[in-house]
Amino acid sequence: MTAAGSLPGPDPREAGTQLRPGLWHTINSRYPGSMITKPDFVPLVALRKPLSECRVTFVSSCGVHLKNDAPMEVAHPFGDFTFRRVPSTAKHGDLIIHQLKYPHDDADLDINVIFPIERLQELAAEAVIGALTPEFFSFIGYNMDPERFEAIVARDIAAAVVEEQRADVALLAPA
Amino acid sequence: MEKVIRFVRLHLGDGNEEVGRKEIEKSWIEATRVLLRYEPVDREFLDRVLKADDSTLALLYYRLHFHLIRRSGAWVHDGSR
Amino acid sequence: MGLIQREIEARGVPTVSVTVAKDSTAAIKAPRAVFVPWPMGHHFGAPFHFEVQRRVLFAMLELLQNATQSGEIRDLPIKWADVRREARILTEQGRRL
Repeated sequence: MTAAGSLPGPDPREAGTQLRPGLWHTINSRYPGSMITKPDFVPLVALRKPLSECRVTFVSSCGVHLKNDAPMEVAHPFGDFTFRRVPSTAKHGDLIIHQLKYPHDDADLDINVIFPIERLQELAAEAVIGALTPEFFSFIGYNMDPERFEAIVARDIAAAVVEEQRADVALLAPA
Repeated sequence: MEKVIRFVRLHLGDGNEEVGRKEIEKSWIEATRVLLRYEPVDREFLDRVLKADDSTLALLYYRLHFHLIRRSGAWVHDGSR
Repeated sequence: MGLIQREIEARGVPTVSVTVAKDSTAAIKAPRAVFVPWPMGHHFGAPFHFEVQRRVLFAMLELLQNATQSGEIRDLPIKWADVRREARILTEQGRRL
């Protein structure tokens, strides 16, 4: 254990990140039209059974995929409107992130900081949740055309989650 | 048009317009430095590539930018801006 | 992310997300979200800090079970400085995957 005095200084990434006020406007002024406001709330769907019997899926915009899968298209100015399937049995060492626009150096050390696949495997083993769907889903968050994104990526992933993977619960995380 | 220019600079500058402007110049400079070595080039390959459709060529343009910038060693795309 | 979440919930499967940008999540009206005051790319904390990674997941599962109103954003007020410091100590102690 290191003495408090010899610990490195504050992480520069902390600066201005607490609560990130005004992020919506910041991003939207940089990439006009990329941020969305919806007028309506989606009615909540209730859990139909205890969590310990639920099949859980995970959806992430961190751009992670299996190492032998095709990389995400990060050079394209409007983004990549495809997604990748990640087997829910995958480990840190099987996975790689190809994405710009957010820091993933810590995720390169431990993928679970942004895609907690191994923690979810543990929760399933401990029967906190019933099981994991065979596949999780990943895409890149840099998509500058929300309508196109909604029409293609959102619908296709939602359909796969609900109809094909038969998830009872979906956890989601941006990056 | 101003909006498109700004958009391109922000994309290539990882969210910083001024950095984006310099990055665009940098990728041309990187390409020029490579060509200064006067090594043989595969002109047949170039002729074939230039027959590809416009969308492929436009994306190749962006790919080459990131390729040259990455090889230059000064990489701004860490999302910290 | 909110678009997919809304789409899945609308198809009859309950959803919960985690966010570091409260205003963006509020604007898109995600059905349920846990807010952590941490940097982008670190929604589940820091490398090798398994306890914090699990706490975020448990907070999400809890919100999933007891949210009553669509659009709720619930705070998980763990300071980033604490997460970072603890993760450094764990890494120094040699915790590796």
